[in-house]
Amino acid sequence: MMRGFEDCEGEMHNSDRTSAEMSNGGDAASSKTLTLLDRLRLCQPAWALGSPWTQEAVHTALWGRQPGSFLVLLDSMSRPQLLCMSVGGRGEPVKDFPIRNTGAVLHLSESHLGFSDLDQLVAFYSLSRDVLPVSLFIPPCVFGFTEQPEQVLSTLGPKSWLCSSLDPSHLIPNPSGLSMCSIQVTSANGALCIINPLYLHEHGDNWLMEQPPSKTGSLLARQTASHRRERRLSTTRTWQGAGLRKFRGPSLDQEPSSIGCDGSASPVTQPPASPAAPVVLRRSSQPTLDSFKRRGHRGSAEDIVTSRESTPLSSPIPQSPHRVSWIEDGVWMSPPPLISLLHPPSLELDSLSISSLEDESESIPSPAHTPTHRLPLVLADKVKHRLSAVGQAIGGLMSPQKRLTYRVQELSERKSGAFAEGVRAFVEKIQKGGAGLHPSATELLQEVRGTLTSLRELLLDSPEIHALIDSMGDMAEWDIDAMLELAIHKALLKPVQTYLYASLLDYRNRDGSMQRLKENQNTMGKQNPEALGAAEGAGLPDAVILEKIQQRWASMHQAYSPTKKVQILLKVCKSIYHSMSANSSPGAAYGADDFLPCLTWVILRSDISILQLDTDYMMELLDPAQLQGEGGYYLTSLYGSLFHISSFRSRFATRQLSSEAQRSLSQWHRRRTLHCDRSRRTGNRRTIRKLSSRERAGPQTEAELQDRRMPPDSPEEERETRASSASQADMHHKAEGGLEDVKEEEDSRPEGPAEECHGNARLKSAERGPESEESVEVLRTTRGKPAQSPKKGSDGRPWSEPRGHEVLWAVHEDTDRDSQDKKEKALSRLST
Amino acid sequence: DMELRELKVCLLGDTGVGKSSIVWRFVEDSFDPNINPTIGASFMTKTVQYQNELHRFLIWDTAGQERFRALAPMYYRGSAAAIIVYDITKEESFQTLKNWVKELRQHGPPNIVVAIAGNKCDLSDAREVSEKDAKDYADSIHAIFVETSAKNAININEVFLEISQRIPVVDASGASAGKGFKLRRDPSDSRRNCC
Repeated sequence: MMRGFEDCEGEMHNSDRTSAEMSNGGDAASSKTLTLLDRLRLCQPAWALGSPWTQEAVHTALWGRQPGSFLVLLDSMSRPQLLCMSVGGRGEPVKDFPIRNTGAVLHLSESHLGFSDLDQLVAFYSLSRDVLPVSLFIPPCVFGFTEQPEQVLSTLGPKSWLCSSLDPSHLIPNPSGLSMCSIQVTSANGALCIINPLYLHEHGDNWLMEQPPSKTGSLLARQTASHRRERRLSTTRTWQGAGLRKFRGPSLDQEPSSIGCDGSASPVTQPPASPAAPVVLRRSSQPTLDSFKRRGHRGSAEDIVTSRESTPLSSPIPQSPHRVSWIEDGVWMSPPPLISLLHPPSLELDSLSISSLEDESESIPSPAHTPTHRLPLVLADKVKHRLSAVGQAIGGLMSPQKRLTYRVQELSERKSGAFAEGVRAFVEKIQKGGAGLHPSATELLQEVRGTLTSLRELLLDSPEIHALIDSMGDMAEWDIDAMLELAIHKALLKPVQTYLYASLLDYRNRDGSMQRLKENQNTMGKQNPEALGAAEGAGLPDAVILEKIQQRWASMHQAYSPTKKVQILLKVCKSIYHSMSANSSPGAAYGADDFLPCLTWVILRSDISILQLDTDYMMELLDPAQLQGEGGYYLTSLYGSLFHISSFRSRFATRQLSSEAQRSLSQWHRRRTLHCDRSRRTGNRRTIRKLSSRERAGPQTEAELQDRRMPPDSPEEERETRASSASQADMHHKAEGGLEDVKEEEDSRPEGPAEECHGNARLKSAERGPESEESVEVLRTTRGKPAQSPKKGSDGRPWSEPRGHEVLWAVHEDTDRDSQDKKEKALSRLST
Repeated sequence: DMELRELKVCLLGDTGVGKSSIVWRFVEDSFDPNINPTIGASFMTKTVQYQNELHRFLIWDTAGQERFRALAPMYYRGSAAAIIVYDITKEESFQTLKNWVKELRQHGPPNIVVAIAGNKCDLSDAREVSEKDAKDYADSIHAIFVETSAKNAININEVFLEISQRIPVVDASGASAGKGFKLRRDPSDSRRNCC
């Protein structure tokens, strides 16, 4: 612990010196401006929350906020207990990082870096993410108050703290959709400490201008990208300057009073924070050279030893992608790739934080002889001008998702290219009224879903997307799928959303179902909760919560991505649970018996026609991979509840309606099964892609290849002895060493009876998660399909491939339909 | 390394028989900081190891009120197993259970594993359904049968263990099909070491 703290101190010296160099004298005029630390301290009540806040309440508050948004939960003694932050992932949107209090030092339990008070800890993690998935996000409004900031800041509450993070764009020109807070981070607040001086010594700062080398991307694409970056840079420069100057001054002029400039004050004996506590993050620039040298010397052997000891503690992010929790979380935010410091960090600037350095210090050459005097020059040169911009463009907040979305968006706007043309054709068709031409809303949405799936496959074949995904390091394949899906939502659904909704409403009006729904809403809305099936005295949302839920419904309606919509639906459901349990004994478990009536009660008090349209939209467009999970469950409940309302006529009608419900559901299920098959095939394609890209990636030893192709101890061999002669022929090919043949073999693999999409034994490989199950299913559904070479899969002709499967789908569908029809008949008999 | 199988399990039964309490009990001791808790008790998950597999139960609760009965197919569709719960102190809930069994036979997924749980066995003084009758019925339909007490944590894990046992073993072809796709990217991937 102590060591960690000292390291941190050492780094602080560096950063100080750097910011001193960078600001070229700074502006003494603004010395009265509040520092980040001051501002954080003033509004601490807004982000450090004690009783009655609970972990759950904090999670709810953070749900869906911008990644990096955070709150600190205090324990009953008002000591910092938990840092909760939004990481923006799908499965795990809010993460907790316990804060430990060791003597007078605060540190995240997963990090070695100690701080003398909470404000410093937060300030630091807003500059460098260290062990966090992203840096903490300080709402821009905190910097915005120039008039009497003391008063305004001290009256901020958690709500304004978080809400202001929702829309920072009104403060900043933000054309690219990038989060801007890393600007404040990178230059103003001494964030240069996130760059290892050794690194700059080793590599200079030329890498700052370079795009990561892409294996397959064209030079042209790279140039375009860097032009784009330059453009971003110039459009935001004005603001940066203005914003930065405000708090650059104090960092130079504020002389720390209680801590000696030589850093002799022991961190442990340092008094706990008081409002007037000195700014440890910023020191006078005087002693930095010395302290830097000191650190340099110390850094050699000693560093390595300690970091070896502490590595397990300091690597909370799984080092291996094969952890179960990964699979289950389904978070698409990948952990930071393990970057060797000896090669340029490309887009992972932020991972060069102090802890990361320590984790990997074994790979650092001894820094003892580092000519430190050179560094200021190096830094003052290009870094000075670019670092903040680069940090903004590629810093911690530029998540893989954003990068991918950005790239997909760019691909969709190109003049030519299969993806751009596909997107354009679809968008134009819908915008020109094509949405109204289908026999039903369902068929319209089916077409949209089909287009989404096809475009996703197309992207998987794009070399540029390959390059980008590869540059993101080790990503689970289902993560890639989910990310691509989200990225396409933006390109494809955003432009047509209003047209789709207009058509959906039109269909619903024409068949009278909307009218019926509204009538029943009127009737049932007058019923008391007990009449809806709620237990006596069940907790229901009060007016405040109900209002909040209405706002969430509204934002759910605004969202164009079905995935995003489902996330908002989960928030609403969580609010409902909160209300249900508000007045009950702790630990009471509210299951569906209580939840569904409560949800129905809420729906009856909402804009039910909009909800119906949103539900239609989500039911048909959500990625099939998500249908069995939590989102799928609550979407089912929403759909079920709306169905319950729309089919309400009298209490005697329930039975007769069963067959109607059955029919509607089985039709839906049939559709979704069909798409499920499709997406499974996607899983198959991915395998091809990986294989071929692996092959492209460079020479591998024969042993490696052999290992990848067929684990020697797998039961595969056993199966293959039972395989058809065709498959044996494939095995023969494989023995000759063609990687592609693995895929062929899989395509022609004989299988047992084709299982339905909802087959009950969902098999997964622990390594691959949800997608692997899909892949297994693909095998079943593609049985008999002629083998295709992977080249065909990757040369831009994916549009033709679905056709090969249509026959099989039809077979599936017919089987399904037959059995469903039988069931429906049986049911009608039952209910009459 | 172990295969992970996701098993959707649907809970059926009259309202008030303790469906969600059973799940709550099953899930409560499985706190794993790496897995986000679900937002409520209607949908919960728990992963257990069974032999050399990991079984991840995705547990879908249903509303037991008669009025919501038409919605049940949405929930049990695609389930690997259904746990039908009755209250041993309420004869009526046992009759409802029989209706659920019939419906599942007719409309449920083929090969769905059915487990019958007679809950509230801690209240044997008020018993209305004899254990033997229930056991005989369960045997006649080849269902798993246990009497449980969510309150006293009796036989809760056993229900799920028996479901794990009854889930068809992935045959060799299926398992190896999975293997065929296990193209993991090793951390030691050669691409990392380039410099």
